[in-house]
Amino acid sequence: MFRPLPRASGYFRTDYADEIALLQTRGERMSLAVFALVLVAVPFIASPFQLDLACQVLLASIGALSLMLLTGYAGQISLGHAGLIAAGAFTTGILAREINAPFWVTLPASALTGVVLGLIFGLPSLRLRGLYLAVSTLALHFIVIYLGGEYETKRGFSTGIMVEKPKIAGVALNDGRIWYFILLVFAAASLLICINLLRSRSGRAWRAIHAKETVAEALGISVAGYKLLAFVISSSMTCVAGSLFAYYRGFVSIEAFDLFLSIQYVAMIIIGGMGSLLGALLGAMFVTLFPYAIEALLKLLPNVQNLAGDIFAVNYASFGVVMILFLVLEPLGLVGIWRRIQNYFLLWPFKQKPLAGAGK
Amino acid sequence: MADLTVENLSLRFGGLTVLNDVSFAVEPGELLALIGPNGAGKTSVFNCISGIYCGVGNIRLRNTNLMGRPPHEIARLGVARTFQHGELFGDMSVLENLLTGRHARIRTNPIAEMLFLPSVRRAEVMHRQAVERIIDVVDLERYRHAPVGALPFGVQKIVGFARALALEPSVMLLDEPSAGLNREEREDLARFILRIKHELKMTIIWIEHDMQMIADLADRIHVLDYGRTIAEGAPDDVLNDPNVLTAYLGTTTESAGG
Repeated sequence: MFRPLPRASGYFRTDYADEIALLQTRGERMSLAVFALVLVAVPFIASPFQLDLACQVLLASIGALSLMLLTGYAGQISLGHAGLIAAGAFTTGILAREINAPFWVTLPASALTGVVLGLIFGLPSLRLRGLYLAVSTLALHFIVIYLGGEYETKRGFSTGIMVEKPKIAGVALNDGRIWYFILLVFAAASLLICINLLRSRSGRAWRAIHAKETVAEALGISVAGYKLLAFVISSSMTCVAGSLFAYYRGFVSIEAFDLFLSIQYVAMIIIGGMGSLLGALLGAMFVTLFPYAIEALLKLLPNVQNLAGDIFAVNYASFGVVMILFLVLEPLGLVGIWRRIQNYFLLWPFKQKPLAGAGK
Repeated sequence: MADLTVENLSLRFGGLTVLNDVSFAVEPGELLALIGPNGAGKTSVFNCISGIYCGVGNIRLRNTNLMGRPPHEIARLGVARTFQHGELFGDMSVLENLLTGRHARIRTNPIAEMLFLPSVRRAEVMHRQAVERIIDVVDLERYRHAPVGALPFGVQKIVGFARALALEPSVMLLDEPSAGLNREEREDLARFILRIKHELKMTIIWIEHDMQMIADLADRIHVLDYGRTIAEGAPDDVLNDPNVLTAYLGTTTESAGG
């Protein structure tokens, strides 16, 4: 995992445990504290609309982190991500609707659904690679959407399933601010889980498999086992995100989980920067906020009323253009730009190109 | 008893016979050199031992049958190897490469890793210490945090050697560790090989083209040509064997006929 060297003079590590520690210097601890304070302050400053955007970004972050683990680190491409979110959302919706299950039943149940789906849809990865694997994961998406659609029509919820907000001690969690904090905790926990896995044995095994499977196998890594593990962990995290989505929106419908959503998640990790957790977070933020930004920009134009019908098309088109621009101009993604900015200020006032490989 | 025994090993790819009835045994602590002209099947022997290719015959590590086992199990039993072309993980640091090589010796489970429990932290530190000892043996201290892809070729070869060593194997398969190294780097490598042979009592099979190095270091030499054994024995005898000379240099009578 990428660990920049601590940027503090007079700081010497005296123990191997120091080098594993997540926060090493006072500077790092301070910046995390400031960042946490900002995150806590957001719901008290933001308008309800901005708060909803923040919640969407947090939800997308969990999904993007889990996809980054699977694709960016273990190297297994998946186009079934929307299907997994749908699976989590439907597990929650169905359990809440049919047996009135509380959230402490539906959340673990969604995670379990993820484990099972991860095992089943990880199996093709033992034989297939690259594009072929991607196509096989597409099947996951269509199967889940089909089953969800069947359930909706059979039970007469053709417009979707209403999910009541969870209750803690008899009080329904209705407040947007409370939801912001719930999602923040889950997103932070997902991030911590990913970091921990990547700085230990499993993470190294995944990166080895990503680099070269035969070599990983010859080093004593059970390639099949670790591929399945990556699928299982990634999809259970994604299903938990789906479950949270169901509660947050209070409504589950197959329309929300089309193939475009899968593509958006793949876009998040590409635009964010492959092989970086920070990239997953930046990508989630970028892709979630992008359509709103385009809309806001269009509103600045004269004669907005005439353009109202085109906003949708403009959105899709500009999303495509941005994707292409990133692939061509900045393959390292937003995280590449972020590191370049860091390097610039690190070396300031000297202007010197960082050594090859040093920025990675 | 021999550490590693290969008996009547044959390997075919369709109509092409790569290995034909190859047999040899390595004693504990012995350094056996495996030589032969290009395409003789040396690396194929390694691929069969480490389970990447599935040949016909018998391969045993002491009393354990290795035939038909998947590569990761064979590595776990204590057979480590290096690769002809390094095959290092270029994005990872030297430390991460070595810790990955040590995978089979680390016993932490993914659930504990997710939470990074104290047991995982302790294990990581413990294995870091083990890896540091290896770094010390092969003089890689100054490169430990450097991404391997950015290191000079000679250093990368040593990292490959160290990564195999990180598994703490009982049998080490070295696939042309000196290819592409200069004189000085070769001398370093020879020193490392002798060190692990004498200090760790490791059994080593060594594919090599540098005849001078082999003559100096190997206990015994096994020669392959077109997938067959053509000679085996002490370095001095084998390197003067007429069959071996023919295989490497060809003969005037044969070239006139062919």
